[in-house]
Amino acid sequence: MPRLLFAVLFFAALPLHAQTYQGRELVQAKLVADVSAVVPGKPFTAGVLLHMVPNWHTYWKFPGDAGIPTEINWKLPDGWKTGEIQWPIPLKLNEPGDIQIYGYHDEVLLMQEITPPASLSASTVELAAETSWLVCEKICIPGSANLKLDLPVAAQSAPANEEIFSRYRRSLPQNWPDTKVAQSKWQREGNELRLTVESAALANYPAADFFPLPEPKVVVSHPKVERTGDGKIVFRVPIETDDKSVSSLNGIVVFGQNENGADRNAWSLTAPTISAAAAAPSMPEGFWKYLLFGFIGGFILNLMPCVLPVISLKIFGFIQHAGQDRRQILRSGLAFVAGIFAWFIGLALLLIGLKSAGREITWAFQFTNPYFVLAMSAVVLIFALNLFGVFEISLPQFANRGVLGWTAREGDAGSFFQGVFATVLATPCTAPFLGTALGFAFTQSSWTILLMFFAIAAGMAFPYFLLSAQPAWLRLLPKPGPWMVRVKQLMGFLLLATLLFLIAVLGAQRGVEAITWASAFLLVLSLVCWMKGAFIVPTASAISRSVALVLMLVLVIGSGYFFIGQKFAQAKMVSSETVAHGDWQPFTPQFLESEVKQGHAVFVDFTAAWCLTCKFNEASVLESAAVRDAFKTRGIVKIKADWTNADPAITKILKQFGRPGVPMYVLYPGNNAEPILFPELLTQSLILEKLETVSAQVAAK
Amino acid sequence: MKTKLLTALLTIAASTALFAADSPAVGTTAPDFSLTDSKGKTQSVSQYKGKYVVLEWFNPECPFVKKHYGSGNMQKLQQEFTGKGVVWLTIDSSAPGLEGNLTADQANAKMSEWKTKQTALVLDPDGKAGRSYGAKNTPHMFVINPEGKIVYEGAIDSKATPNPGDITSATNYVKVALEESLSGKTVSNANTKPYGCSVKYK
Repeated sequence: MPRLLFAVLFFAALPLHAQTYQGRELVQAKLVADVSAVVPGKPFTAGVLLHMVPNWHTYWKFPGDAGIPTEINWKLPDGWKTGEIQWPIPLKLNEPGDIQIYGYHDEVLLMQEITPPASLSASTVELAAETSWLVCEKICIPGSANLKLDLPVAAQSAPANEEIFSRYRRSLPQNWPDTKVAQSKWQREGNELRLTVESAALANYPAADFFPLPEPKVVVSHPKVERTGDGKIVFRVPIETDDKSVSSLNGIVVFGQNENGADRNAWSLTAPTISAAAAAPSMPEGFWKYLLFGFIGGFILNLMPCVLPVISLKIFGFIQHAGQDRRQILRSGLAFVAGIFAWFIGLALLLIGLKSAGREITWAFQFTNPYFVLAMSAVVLIFALNLFGVFEISLPQFANRGVLGWTAREGDAGSFFQGVFATVLATPCTAPFLGTALGFAFTQSSWTILLMFFAIAAGMAFPYFLLSAQPAWLRLLPKPGPWMVRVKQLMGFLLLATLLFLIAVLGAQRGVEAITWASAFLLVLSLVCWMKGAFIVPTASAISRSVALVLMLVLVIGSGYFFIGQKFAQAKMVSSETVAHGDWQPFTPQFLESEVKQGHAVFVDFTAAWCLTCKFNEASVLESAAVRDAFKTRGIVKIKADWTNADPAITKILKQFGRPGVPMYVLYPGNNAEPILFPELLTQSLILEKLETVSAQVAAK
Repeated sequence: MKTKLLTALLTIAASTALFAADSPAVGTTAPDFSLTDSKGKTQSVSQYKGKYVVLEWFNPECPFVKKHYGSGNMQKLQQEFTGKGVVWLTIDSSAPGLEGNLTADQANAKMSEWKTKQTALVLDPDGKAGRSYGAKNTPHMFVINPEGKIVYEGAIDSKATPNPGDITSATNYVKVALEESLSGKTVSNANTKPYGCSVKYK
């Protein structure tokens, strides 16, 4: 009973209307509109005008360390719409005890756009807004008021309260300017977020600050401002929430002649529109080291499992060249190298384009597109058929019909495309070093990305370049002869193995139905290749050649339209959740978060069907008896994050760890300890060793 | 090159200094204090080693504090968890002459008027304990585990309003943190944004 009495007493202590303190009315609130009348269907602006007595303040949308924002609850008839509150730039106020708050002194107008319905029957309307606020000086007192404003309904309206509305519109933060004027970039450094703003316009103002607008679950501490020598301003915001995924904040960048000056302006920064720093070819720290990593990574790419068939192709090419003169070999080698560069530079330009269009960029992203995989399958099949001798490739522009063997020019073009082809197949692999290098480059300027891909291309091309320049070393390879036809055919089977892999990828992406139709298309394609070999030959008459050509075109277009355009396109997508992963749990951000929050030890395998390095690691390490046992005895939760279809939730996590793609392996040791990131190539001993460190903690539980 | 290195070092030094002013992070050792409570007894965090300790920053004039005492919410929480062996220290860091500052007699009167159930109401008029914890709000809540580490810091509950009607529908973060801790689990929501009046330091 006494408790109830308390409640009544304290409710009474919270005045429902404008409050008085020591005989003064602390806040006077009223409703104002920028029009003299409501015109049906025509939006206008209304606002709550708060007048505070001197030295008392009400709060901004994000109040800072204490206080709560003013709330406006519109009571409008059905069919009326209200926009968001437009908050003027607040003051930053400091109180003893390192308490920082954002609020307004003296007066503030909180505007909202109001849209009346297209037809109104009444001659006047009553706009009503329940407004509640907290007003503080040395003490805090909550207040509220039920505000009302009557406006006539008319066909036309005149502006009203022009002075006050124009004054407060000027004090609203503006949209972030064009990237030519100001560039912003967020970086996460441990428990701190750094916002770097590069703007000559901003650098001129002596006072610059960042007022955060964090999500409700994110706890931030006071932003600190630093100016670098080269005119950049860095805002450093400590993040107190234990959430490593917070990678940027909303907020406003405030600038003016003085802190809290009346002349201040602000640009608002919203997470999705944050522009990446671009252009300026400045050399960031560690640039050369990462470039070297790129080179080494490119070199190692030659040894990765997915490049195997292509390596064999090139070795074959060199064997073929062995008998030719030195200049010939050099030319062909350079053409191959040029092919490697062409693909990488092309890929870099594409990525830069996507990045500047605001898209997430990742390594091997093209393999997440089933149509790309399908096109690759077709190319691999055609090459295989060519190696089997079903048909000869003759590039029309160098047509030299009737002459068997390779002319110099044809050879060059062939080498060039071999180079491109080798590289295209290499991309689903992330070699050691490459992940680190690309993860770095993707956060940097366009020039750095371009240079990084150049370094990778150089690394990959290096051995071929060396062999071409030093043909003496080729003597170690066997002499050419009729055996080469057999080797050629054998290589064809290797390519068919690659085709099998690509089709498995398609299956993982699109399901059995899709690969059935894709295979049907590939079958027709084989038929067309055979026709090319059988009928498009110099000995055939012009008429039979033309008929064959038309028939081939009809077959390719017809089957492409029907099998791919219709059947393949409509095949049902298989969501990754339905794919069985053995004793692995499927990944969802919520599941990972809750497991980690509960202090469980969690291992996450970030993988994709098209990622051969991933498959290799899984088969040789993760699914090995020793590692499986170790996971089991330690009770580690195993999660498989399948990135085959480029799940954006997974992309986000890859980015947090600075990785451009899969494979990625992360061990959360439990009890909120820092996650451990593994290298791209796993070994059993590496995993077992790290698991040792976890075991003690988990065993204690 | 040298100047760059120097700048970097200075920046690091400056940032550590600035961080020191912030709240001690969740997971770190709770700062100790030695203060007198309203009954004249000395209270510290270290003397309760081996027990869970709740710190609650308090200002009887603050509408947010009134929200939780007027509704009986805070007393209920204090009773429930002191009953389970948790030590509950309510700390008043209001400086003399500022809102909420209490003498020992005034504090005792307030305690009996509001029928509070905490272990002790600790007086911190010079704000030393409050500043060492980076306590910014009333109420601002901390939960310390038996090893003396902070396991929760932040708001009392999830509805940042002065309206007592919101208590029933809010998630009480302190209750959740204590229940999880007492059943041997890690606190799932260990850091939230506290809400309330600012602590009235001088």
